[in-house]
Amino acid sequence: MLERYYSDSPKVDFDSAAEMAPYTAQPDAMYVGCPGKHGYLNLGFELDASGKSILRELDRRAPLIVQQELYFDEAMPEMPCVYILSSGGPNVDGDRYVQNFTVHRNAFAHISTGAATKLAEMKRNYSGMTQRIVLEEGAYLEYLPEPVIPCRHTRFICDTCIVADPTATLFYSEVYMGGRKYYKDGELFVFDILSVATHAERPDGRQLFREKFIIDPARSGIRDTGMMADYDIFANVIVVTPEDTAAKIYNATTPYIDRERHVAAGITHLPNGAGLLFKVLGKETGPVKAAVREFCSTVRMAVKGRPLPPEFPWR
Amino acid sequence: MNSIMHLLQFTDSTFPVGTFSFSNGLETAAYERVVHDAATLESYTRAVALQAAFSDGVAALLAHRATLAGDYDELCRTDSRIMLFKMNDEARLMLGRMGKKLAELGVRLFKGNELITRWLADIEAGTTPGSYPVAQGIVFALADIDEERLYASHQYGVINMVLSAALRCVRVSHYDTQEILFRLSATVPELYERARDMTFEDMNSFVPEMDIMASLHEKGNMRMFMN
Repeated sequence: MLERYYSDSPKVDFDSAAEMAPYTAQPDAMYVGCPGKHGYLNLGFELDASGKSILRELDRRAPLIVQQELYFDEAMPEMPCVYILSSGGPNVDGDRYVQNFTVHRNAFAHISTGAATKLAEMKRNYSGMTQRIVLEEGAYLEYLPEPVIPCRHTRFICDTCIVADPTATLFYSEVYMGGRKYYKDGELFVFDILSVATHAERPDGRQLFREKFIIDPARSGIRDTGMMADYDIFANVIVVTPEDTAAKIYNATTPYIDRERHVAAGITHLPNGAGLLFKVLGKETGPVKAAVREFCSTVRMAVKGRPLPPEFPWR
Repeated sequence: MNSIMHLLQFTDSTFPVGTFSFSNGLETAAYERVVHDAATLESYTRAVALQAAFSDGVAALLAHRATLAGDYDELCRTDSRIMLFKMNDEARLMLGRMGKKLAELGVRLFKGNELITRWLADIEAGTTPGSYPVAQGIVFALADIDEERLYASHQYGVINMVLSAALRCVRVSHYDTQEILFRLSATVPELYERARDMTFEDMNSFVPEMDIMASLHEKGNMRMFMN
């Protein structure tokens, strides 16, 4: 039997996760984690000798692509901005991804994706990703990707580990659509499972919080009041930040239910003084993305004293 | 027979751990008219029960097993871990207050028991958060009640907490709430089957609309309940 993983491939294996047990057969097409289905991305930002924040480390394997950092943020022109692209199109059956972001001492960066992340229909296996986000002293990272769109029978699992110095700030957002809402007759909540775990710790190993949500529409009453009700889009934003900054952001943010625009948002404190958790529900992607972006602007204002520039008209 | 009597006592809504002070976000949901009749109340209560089933319910089971095994370190680990999982201030407040109350009661009910005495002392010293599901696990194990009954009692408590609050802030009758309780109770065995093998890594919860309600309540003005 051939060893099917390259020796330098980071291992991504969720086969032991109980919720993935029904989805561990080999795909009929290319096998699990074969070249092209096993991408990784290591990004490291640091201050150079002149004090400029730069992308010092860039190590990647297809289908994940990052070309170089760009400085296009008009409100913060010193901010290196990186778009993650995928040459593979959607995530497919048996994909395994690793993303590692490190922001070194006092450096700062903005990471997004070039387009929505599509999770294709899956038959035998699942798509899995592990992420590790490390923020050193005084570091600042905005992770504001485009939405994730699960299709019919998508199975996706993601585990994100955050290691944050008490003086660092991480803005980490995820937007999940219920499905390809306007595809054919419309697909909403017909995926098999989304399992998303995010946990954080201090550099000394002290645990801060752990959030895990499993959405398996066939088994849980996804449309129940208290769950998605009649909303179709869900955004989850984690802000790991020092307590005084968290207080500023918390005071500047008002939770609401907007019945006209069909958007609702809420904010709360993470355990152990780790920061804040912001959630948005909506019927359409636009207003949800706008709410997340506005919140990111509040965070940037509290940490860097500057807002986010208006979004590009094509985004 | 004895253990059944204890089960009834610990599950009774008059058991003084403070369940009546909390509504699990229902007050805001009612104020916002998200919950406004028997159907929406049932839907909301089902969501509350489901999220408790795979988080606090699992912690209660783990604590019950740790108590039976006499593994105090595992109890403390479960206790701090369930708190890591609580994503809002009011949920943490509720778990802490009810947990401490139950520990205080436990010390009186199981006079001279070393484990519960040490547990309360550690809560008071601030070395462990003292969450309610862990306290339930301990007390039920000490009363010789098995874990299946513990789980049933836990789920009953969660469902009943919401339904009792509903009588005070939603336009529903006692008949409505009893029907809902009866139907939701029938789903508990299946939840237990799924929860019984879960570990800390498997605990999960997805109630975004409820989280938003809790946040509105936390920053809002109306307050009949503590959350």
